[in-house]
Amino acid sequence: MAILPFDLSSGFGDLSVWAIWILPFAAALIIPAFGRVSKSSTGWVAVAFALASAISAVTLLPAALGNHEIHNQIPWISSIGLKAGVLADPLAVIMSNIVAWISFLIFVYSTGYMKGDKDLTRFFFWMAFFLGSMQLIVLSDNFLQLFFGWEGVGLASYALVGFWYRDKKKDHVGVEGRHVLGLVDYYSPTHSGMKAFIMTKVGDIMMLAGMFLIFAFAGTFGFRELTANTSWATAMSAQHLLIPAAVLLFGGAIGKSAQFPLNEWLLEAMTGPTAVSALIHAATMVKAGVFLVARLAPLFFALAAIGINMDQFFEVIAWVGAITALLLATQGMVHPEIKKVLAYSTGSQIGYMMMALGVAGLSKQFVDGYTAGFFHLISHAMFKASLFMAAGSLLHIVGSRFMTDMGGLRKYMKKTYAFMWAAGLGLMGAPFITTGFWSKDAIFAAVYQSGNSWAIPLFAIAVVTAVITAFYTTRMIGLVFFGNKSKHVEELEKEGHHIHEASPSMWIPYGILAVLTIGVGVMGLAFEHQIHDLFVNYLGSTFGIKSSMDIVATDSQSLLGGFLQGINPIALTASLAAFAIGFGLGYIFYIGRFVDPVKFVNSNIFFYAIHKFFLNRWYLNAIIYWAFVVAPLYAARGLYKYFENIVLEGFNLVPERTMAGGARIMQATQTGVSQSYLYIFGVGILIVVFLLLI
Amino acid sequence: MQFVLLQAIFLPLLLSPVAYFLGRKAGATAAALFSFGLLLYCTVLVITPALSGTSYEEHYQWTQLFGEFGLLLDGLASPFAIIIYVVSTLVALFSKPYMVSRITRVFEEKIKEKQLIGGGTETIESAATKDHVNHQIGAYYALFLVMAMGMLGTVLATNLIEFYVFFEVMLIPAFFMLAFWGYESRRRVALLFFFWTHVGAVILLLGFLSIGLSVGSFNYSDIKTHGIPPHVLGLAAVAIIVGLTVKMASFVVHMWLPHVYKASPTPLNALSSGAMLGVGAYGFFRLIVMLMPGQYEHFALALNIWGLATMIYGGIMALVQDDIRKLFAYSSISQMGYILFGIGSASALGLSGSEMLFISHSLGKVILFMMAGAIILQVGTRSITQMGGLAGKMPITAVCSMIGALTLMGVPPTSGFMSEWTMFYGALQTAIQQGSMIRMITFGLGLVATVITMAYILWMIKRVFFGKLPEHLENTKEANWYVTGPMMVLAGFSVVIGIYPDIFFNQIIPFMKGLVGV
Repeated sequence: MAILPFDLSSGFGDLSVWAIWILPFAAALIIPAFGRVSKSSTGWVAVAFALASAISAVTLLPAALGNHEIHNQIPWISSIGLKAGVLADPLAVIMSNIVAWISFLIFVYSTGYMKGDKDLTRFFFWMAFFLGSMQLIVLSDNFLQLFFGWEGVGLASYALVGFWYRDKKKDHVGVEGRHVLGLVDYYSPTHSGMKAFIMTKVGDIMMLAGMFLIFAFAGTFGFRELTANTSWATAMSAQHLLIPAAVLLFGGAIGKSAQFPLNEWLLEAMTGPTAVSALIHAATMVKAGVFLVARLAPLFFALAAIGINMDQFFEVIAWVGAITALLLATQGMVHPEIKKVLAYSTGSQIGYMMMALGVAGLSKQFVDGYTAGFFHLISHAMFKASLFMAAGSLLHIVGSRFMTDMGGLRKYMKKTYAFMWAAGLGLMGAPFITTGFWSKDAIFAAVYQSGNSWAIPLFAIAVVTAVITAFYTTRMIGLVFFGNKSKHVEELEKEGHHIHEASPSMWIPYGILAVLTIGVGVMGLAFEHQIHDLFVNYLGSTFGIKSSMDIVATDSQSLLGGFLQGINPIALTASLAAFAIGFGLGYIFYIGRFVDPVKFVNSNIFFYAIHKFFLNRWYLNAIIYWAFVVAPLYAARGLYKYFENIVLEGFNLVPERTMAGGARIMQATQTGVSQSYLYIFGVGILIVVFLLLI
Repeated sequence: MQFVLLQAIFLPLLLSPVAYFLGRKAGATAAALFSFGLLLYCTVLVITPALSGTSYEEHYQWTQLFGEFGLLLDGLASPFAIIIYVVSTLVALFSKPYMVSRITRVFEEKIKEKQLIGGGTETIESAATKDHVNHQIGAYYALFLVMAMGMLGTVLATNLIEFYVFFEVMLIPAFFMLAFWGYESRRRVALLFFFWTHVGAVILLLGFLSIGLSVGSFNYSDIKTHGIPPHVLGLAAVAIIVGLTVKMASFVVHMWLPHVYKASPTPLNALSSGAMLGVGAYGFFRLIVMLMPGQYEHFALALNIWGLATMIYGGIMALVQDDIRKLFAYSSISQMGYILFGIGSASALGLSGSEMLFISHSLGKVILFMMAGAIILQVGTRSITQMGGLAGKMPITAVCSMIGALTLMGVPPTSGFMSEWTMFYGALQTAIQQGSMIRMITFGLGLVATVITMAYILWMIKRVFFGKLPEHLENTKEANWYVTGPMMVLAGFSVVIGIYPDIFFNQIIPFMKGLVGV
């Protein structure tokens, strides 16, 4: 039709969608060249390209908010008839903006955080690659292209988690010398990178299988093509392959988003530089799984219209989310390393999002759960990025990853202290003023109102998790900023290293996000209604998912009416109570310090046992290592030693020995004495003659 | 365009004495550059007709007995041919520093032995060593060119006897390279190698003869049109399958490969892993899938399962190796298992993926063998436990090896992903169409095997390149451009094909669709 693959008549809309993900890759390509000239310039190249990518993401916002979508394709693997393309629908555009802007702030932070590292070029190469891959996931219009981004973030996380590949002691995670079930609980960066890559790969092969199943029936990887013609789903469900395929696809999300049972890589991923942790947890990687589910959930939910029941699929999502939320929150209560606490918290919060998306599919009002999950993704991205970057500052300045090595820092790092409170309150869900409160409340309401038979147990898990979340966040802040200075800090001061505030390039990024957590939080409900509104239109027009529109109508008329209507009283009470209990307990132990937590735990065998159980990660990590690393390696060694080297080696040895032995016998007959030859020759002739005569 | 393929095949053979004399008179560099240039020219000769898109054929008179001597470059043969020559060209460069060092070492060992026996105290003069090296490197490149020619000939042959002759021709240089410049018990292993592959080839010949004599012609085209009489069909198919699986080192008949890889000089490893093993895979496509479609359908599932067993077994063995080349040996076995798995998939995309996997494996494994060679050259050890932290000392090698590793693991954007996804998808497609539970399970286990592949490769990378740098490696330097140059070219290829696979898919997929239908 046209020579150019882009339709320029509609302005540069199409091009800017491509630019969002191509720009970071372009940055990755040129960074090595800049690195040759000056290493510190690489950071600014990355920042500049991230900013350009973010700006082109913003240009798409107006169209997206008006529920327009841009779908643009170019030829790719023509021999199979596959096309590459970008799909910028409201979901993708909002996600892309979050990723772009948070990554941009993290990149700015990185220039300060990584200052003086001798491998800056490599660092920013992978950061840019990471961002590009994530945007590729968000903007792809088909599974296969999405998978490129999907593996790209896996690869980038491998490279960045193991960034400090020299495996120095200070870069490890875990406590040296600690054992769980006979295995060390102390991991080097390169080990952790490998673990992350392999564990997510397990999820990836499930996702591949799911993709292939759908492709085999639909003949396309495209999301819009799959929505347009659903005959594939009918064919698959007739063969009972639809739900397995959907669950397998979700397997990919389980791996990437570190959900149970593939959650264990996330903790060791803390060996990476903190900027990387922030990126993994707030903008890229773990959010990819949630995004995938958000991409797929309406697609599968809409199948209800043609009479296909996908409840089992959504139940799996909801329960995996709920289990992960609780499992990881409990562990977050007891760990001494600040980054690990935050990592547990991320897994747990992602669990919330999954739960909301799963519950959405189980309820009549799909859009409620969907909005809640996505809203939580947004608010989590803000406060978690802020918390991680702040934690990075602490690590940078105190020089230890243990919270027990900090303490009493509030007087010295006032800005960090304030921002950490703001973001921490978001994580805790402090009432009415934080985004975290509104998004969590929306999840509670969605779960509670879903009307599904699982609603009550899921709701209970959600509330208990919220209590724990408030508790461990308070514990973290209390341990770091309150109480007396730790021995470690005192020693530092003796050596002449005084605790001071972080540099502006570091505190400004996390300051902005912390302020946003509160700022957006104040208008939280209105913000939520905006998203809700948008999604009602989006889901309705694209997938044909109907939702009742009354909430939206009242909201636009009177603020108070909307305010009251968006809230479920039981959910609200539960979230207020959860915050109060969790924060109160945390205050008693760690801020007011009325009770010494160590003494408290040791006072009672029950508390002691439970503490140990949580500290040992429910023994899941150790069990996984025994079952999938230690035992198989042992078996492989045995197989090599006995089967390969003895049994199969027989194929080589038997002919060799037989021939050598045969040769020796033949050699023995070659005496070299002519009489004996003549003698044998005569005997031979005689035998032949006899045979002929007979 | 006349005699193009004929030149591409026979120029290396005819000019191999030139390489020898150049090496002898003008030194190692001249021989290396001559071989490189010659192979580069021949590579261009092979690529030009492939660019036109349609299949290209040349025919020449041969003896009445065997039929005609044809050279065919179609959608199946041209990717094989191109990759075989590209790899040979690049390995020719890589060989130079490695072989010079290896030949010197072998010479020194010999002198030392003599001194021990004769008690003489003669010291080696550097001039004598240089003379010896030049002499030997000439011989090496002569053998190298013949081997390249043999591999290409097998792929382009249009006649069973022609196939067989070239198939055996590539063995002989490999045997001598192994026996002259190998490690440790090289003579014994050379014999072992010759014994295994020769027995395999003879079994193959048995199948060829039974077909040729019953059909009355050895030409593929005649066999295709006349059809093979049913009474020899089964026997011939089994003979050919066994002959080819020995070449591909499938599970149980793989026992020659780890020994050979451990003992042979690294360029030979690269060449045999990157190109020679794949010739066995080529045989499957040409002889089984094309000439005996009925038998192919019959054996497809068995090949699929055999491939699966090989890929898992090879992967498990690779996990526990300490000698870096033995690790790659088992990795090659495992990867050949992938190809066999794809051959057994009985679908056009599966077969296409399988052929693409040959390409990916060549690119990836040759990079990794060059890495091994570079490390052996720079560090002098083959034991993985002796290595560590080399990424800081050899950054280019590390980056290229990582791309090679990703290619083998099938991670996008390398060509490995493009081949693996099409291959596994093909396997699944057949499983669904046939409603076969066994195929469903082999598909699933095949995906699990990719995790094993990932585990042994990443673990290897970690132990070689990451971690603390041992003290004895403090002075390690980056390899020179003879090594890094070819590595970078291969890594680049892998990424380009991974992003834009149509370069090869455009030829492969239509061909396979014509072959299998689906």
